[in-house]
Amino acid sequence: MKESNFIYLYNGTWEDLLKLIFWLLKEKRKPLQIMEEIKYENNLLSSPFKPVIDPKILTFKKNISKEVLKISYYVFLSSEKEKELIIYYFLLNSLKYQKEVIYMRNLKCVNKALAVSKRVSREAHKWKGFLRFKEMQNQFFYAEFNADNNILGILANHFTKRLPKENWVIKDEGRDILCIYDQTRLYFLEGKDIQLDLNLNTKEKNTEELWKSFFKTIAIKERENRKCQQNFMPKKYWQNILEMEGEK
Amino acid sequence: MTLKEKLEILADSAKYDASCSSSGSARKNKNGIGNGSISGICHSFSSDGRCISLLKILMTNCCIFDCKYCINRRSNQVSRAIFTPEEIASITINFYKRNYIEGLFLSSGILKSPDYTMEKMIETIALLRNKYHFNGYIHAKAIPGASEYLIQKLGLLVDRLSANIELPTENGLTLLAPDKNASKVTDIMNFVKKKKSKIFTPAGQSTQMIIGATNETDLEILSKSSNLYQNYQLKRVFYSAYIAVNKDKNLPSMKMPPLKRENRLYQADWLLRYYNFKVEDLLEKENPNFNVLLDPKADWALRHLEEFPKEINKASYYDLVKVPGIGPTSAKKIISSRRFFTIHFNDLKKMGISLKRAKYFILCDGKYFANIACFQQGFITKNLILEETETKKERTTQLSLFYEGK
Repeated sequence: MKESNFIYLYNGTWEDLLKLIFWLLKEKRKPLQIMEEIKYENNLLSSPFKPVIDPKILTFKKNISKEVLKISYYVFLSSEKEKELIIYYFLLNSLKYQKEVIYMRNLKCVNKALAVSKRVSREAHKWKGFLRFKEMQNQFFYAEFNADNNILGILANHFTKRLPKENWVIKDEGRDILCIYDQTRLYFLEGKDIQLDLNLNTKEKNTEELWKSFFKTIAIKERENRKCQQNFMPKKYWQNILEMEGEK
Repeated sequence: MTLKEKLEILADSAKYDASCSSSGSARKNKNGIGNGSISGICHSFSSDGRCISLLKILMTNCCIFDCKYCINRRSNQVSRAIFTPEEIASITINFYKRNYIEGLFLSSGILKSPDYTMEKMIETIALLRNKYHFNGYIHAKAIPGASEYLIQKLGLLVDRLSANIELPTENGLTLLAPDKNASKVTDIMNFVKKKKSKIFTPAGQSTQMIIGATNETDLEILSKSSNLYQNYQLKRVFYSAYIAVNKDKNLPSMKMPPLKRENRLYQADWLLRYYNFKVEDLLEKENPNFNVLLDPKADWALRHLEEFPKEINKASYYDLVKVPGIGPTSAKKIISSRRFFTIHFNDLKKMGISLKRAKYFILCDGKYFANIACFQQGFITKNLILEETETKKERTTQLSLFYEGK
């Protein structure tokens, strides 16, 4: 089969994708498609291809600026279709324009990469504010959220700095993945791999009531503006925001 | 009284303070709980659309002053409460651990004396910082008339200090807040300005003015702000539309707070701080109040059409930000990109720059968005007003209120 029909496969991790893209750049191949191997379905028109790559290829990173790598990583975390190709073309251009590639907004792939990465960081920022922990009986804090993009790692990093002396668990409900922090390190797991005892601490309801009453009291009724409230805190977040539970 | 009842009384009396921002401090977590986030984080939005970032409370609503506009004035018959330092610290920590808040905004009515009140506030905040090792954001109100050594002590503990000027002119203050003295507020500002450093109020100082309680014009209010920014290097002046909570012969009776006016003042305030505008560009003695129909920049641009249209590929930074619809972020994007290629209208769209308002005032590579004959005051005014009424989402009000530039 012709090389142009290849679908390049990687194992779904960022490192594996970077290895693959660096290899493609080195071999000067222009992929038609790059895909996670578990998502690939056999068909007659294309042939899957997973090259064996020396891990040393990752040293190629030094040719790429930190900012460009960060943008690429955020694109990787997105749920954008063909995000792998966006990253490939973004990195390809970054070889030509170096770190100034981020100003080349007239190039479709650059523009796309910047827009998608911005979307991911915006969503992560929103959740840094909206995430709500509950204290459980077994001395840990538990929070659930639902997001379009895979921001669990960004959130985990944020709370590691913020709450280093607590035990906590954050769960991405939609993806069914969890992050567990035990005051020392982070563990990432799939939902099926762990059974958590989610009984609330006896005092938890009191604290929740205290917060809900603060939330109600702090609003100025002469300035009521539900539309504006909803612009900043859209309904899709409400199911995971304690004080908005039961609101319509 | 239960803790919940206390919290209701002391949050209710604190809610009229407009400031709730948590930006400007990158305080690190030193072996404890919490840290600062330089751009600030909103944790929720109340039903009035305002951002909730901090646990905004008074230490007490008891007050020896009798300011006419204030709900907590001595002569009002309202429920009074006092929080102990331990109560405030434990609510703050409990809320913070659950990620309800970024930190604490502590203000207070005046108990016994300004010094006594400040000492109690310092005790509370010191407890949070030293016993609980709390490194999250703390904004405290300095009490006018308190001794300098207390302000010094407080400033070393908090991220931001503020003292409210409340009314733009001395006359207004004498009329409505006879116990307050403007010079005591500016004394604090002066002190904070001199002491500000990485460890003393790293997020700087701010203040607040009540809009519409007295009869000052927008020109007087904005001149006061400009003066405050210049003399005391304030980070922010907040504007709070007057809400009639008390009846008094010296107070206006109004049903609705003047929100549109508040919005215009915020817009103008940003033009002073980030767009290099001067008060006299925006308002003049003959015309001392803002146009209700148009935002201050559009209004200015329409009065100065001779400066437009501006060529996107050549205009300087300060010329670009004069274009209605183009702010500092867009201007920086334009300048960094045009070194590499000539910008056309569709490039601006790709950059995520809204052309809705900007298109009337710019040329891209010599081209106007429509027939250049459209470039005249009547046509543009009509379209801009239409635009403003259509997108009446009031997003801008709230954005300018709660997202703070660095």
